Amino acid sequence: MAMNKKKLLTVAAAMAFGVAIQSLIWLGVLNAYYAQVLTTMSMFIILATSLNLINGITGQFSLGHAGFAAVGGYFSAIITTRIAPPLPGPIVFLVSLLVGGLVAALAGFLIGLPTLRLRGDYLAIATLGFGEIIRVLFVNWKFVGAAAGMWGIPGYTNFLWAYAIAVLTVLFIVNFMNSSHGRACVSIREDEIAAETMGINTTRYKVMAFTFGAFFAGVAGGIFAHLIRLLHPQSFTFMFSVEILLMVVLGGLGSITGSVAAAVLLTFLSEALRQFAELRMVIYSLMLIGIMLFRPQGLFGTKELSVDMLAGMKSKFKFSKN
Amino acid sequence: MAIIETKQLVKTFGGLTAVSGFEIYLDQGELIGLIGPNGAGKTTAFNMLTGVYQPCSGDIIFLNESVVGKKPYEITQKGIARTFQNIRLFKDLSVIDNVKIAYHQNVKYGVAAGIFGTKKFKQEEQEITNKAMELLKIFKLNHKADEYAKNMPYGEQRRLEIARALATQPKLILLDEPAAGMNPQETQALMELIRFIRDTFGLTVLLIEHDMSLVMNVCERIYVLDYGKIIAHGTPQEIKSNPKVIEAYLGEEVAI
Repeated sequence: MAMNKKKLLTVAAAMAFGVAIQSLIWLGVLNAYYAQVLTTMSMFIILATSLNLINGITGQFSLGHAGFAAVGGYFSAIITTRIAPPLPGPIVFLVSLLVGGLVAALAGFLIGLPTLRLRGDYLAIATLGFGEIIRVLFVNWKFVGAAAGMWGIPGYTNFLWAYAIAVLTVLFIVNFMNSSHGRACVSIREDEIAAETMGINTTRYKVMAFTFGAFFAGVAGGIFAHLIRLLHPQSFTFMFSVEILLMVVLGGLGSITGSVAAAVLLTFLSEALRQFAELRMVIYSLMLIGIMLFRPQGLFGTKELSVDMLAGMKSKFKFSKN
Repeated sequence: MAIIETKQLVKTFGGLTAVSGFEIYLDQGELIGLIGPNGAGKTTAFNMLTGVYQPCSGDIIFLNESVVGKKPYEITQKGIARTFQNIRLFKDLSVIDNVKIAYHQNVKYGVAAGIFGTKKFKQEEQEITNKAMELLKIFKLNHKADEYAKNMPYGEQRRLEIARALATQPKLILLDEPAAGMNPQETQALMELIRFIRDTFGLTVLLIEHDMSLVMNVCERIYVLDYGKIIAHGTPQEIKSNPKVIEAYLGEEVAI
């Protein structure tokens, strides 16, 4: 990948951070509980940023992300359990994630083509419906255990896998956003009629964003399956989509760094609140209401957090001191 | 040679006939005005020409080819650009991004090239940025390239909309009330600008306008639309003295 130096450095630093954390897990400094939380966090980063590509960047309000995660999870698990090619674990895992992602992308393409004609609330309802249809299909599919769920999935996922894929996902989406094709998607969010009048095939870009988003949701589903080692249709209900949507809205629709920050924050928050037992969800909800009251545009709005921005803030701070 | 010609265009919304028997033709390089009282159907006609509305009957011939039934983006790709009466900029994007988006249809690199940041991608992005800056310079907006479009004064937003339409590299540009909300000085500057872009870019211009001084000064021919029908057509001098036009604007003369 040819990239500018700053971006290369950021990615290298991010990867080094991941390796460091994974080493701590291997050394036993961070126990299995922390490993699980950190891995879940990485998975949510993938889910939130990919949903942001659809909801925030292209402005198409989708509520079907759990459905695509289910497709990816089930199909990757089919590869590792039902087919189980006699290859080294990591290769099988990678192939399974790719297959899961591609099948989810295909589902996204097929669902997106008819539903993306709808706008706003109508699209949200239609995608929600399709998400539920996908879930119900798995409830009734005997080959993958139907309502009893799919057992005995190998635990291939570890933190480093999930984290590295999360970094790649973010890189993919950020690069896409900064290309002319990404700008075409943003213009649809801003004003669909104007975008169309500027010569942009809006249907094409809406379906493209939807398909990419579904692909990454599928990959995240595969990571989930090999982390929990058990797939059950009940894991992919509408509430799962809402949880992802929450991260996107909280971080700021259209801000990738916002989605990452929100995914990290909400995963940790929901874990930290475990000690309050039954009050957990009440506190969680109150915090969300508070954030939405005081920052309705989300933590970052549509802006991106970057090294340049931090440097800018620092220099402004210095200026004000003088 | 006519660059665009319409034949008996009709558009009805339920029981309301917004436009009927709409016939105009524009020769290459002309600067034509379309005027008429409020609700005469001018914007509806524009929306049909750009594919936003599908005409109920009739035909639109652009460069010897019918464009009826084509999607708006296909029509733009063929070379018709437009601005909107109620400015439709990409408000939350920077001024330069507004223009860059309009260059999208001419971008050659693919999605993968963008994601992997290939050399071709970088070169073309650089070219697009340069072209966009040049265009902004013509419209004296280059110093505001990184500002949000929504933060600009009204007159500049109107200019940016024209710049953005030009970035699609059109052969015909449709301006929907470009001088609306401008003061006389701004309108004067705009007239010169319209003439200037017509000459430098080799464009054909069709504009809707309520500001009669602008229309009479700048347009070579004028079509007058009233109740969805073309009631008069001719040079500004002919239009000024046409009794039908006076009637449409001021009402019938009453014999006492």
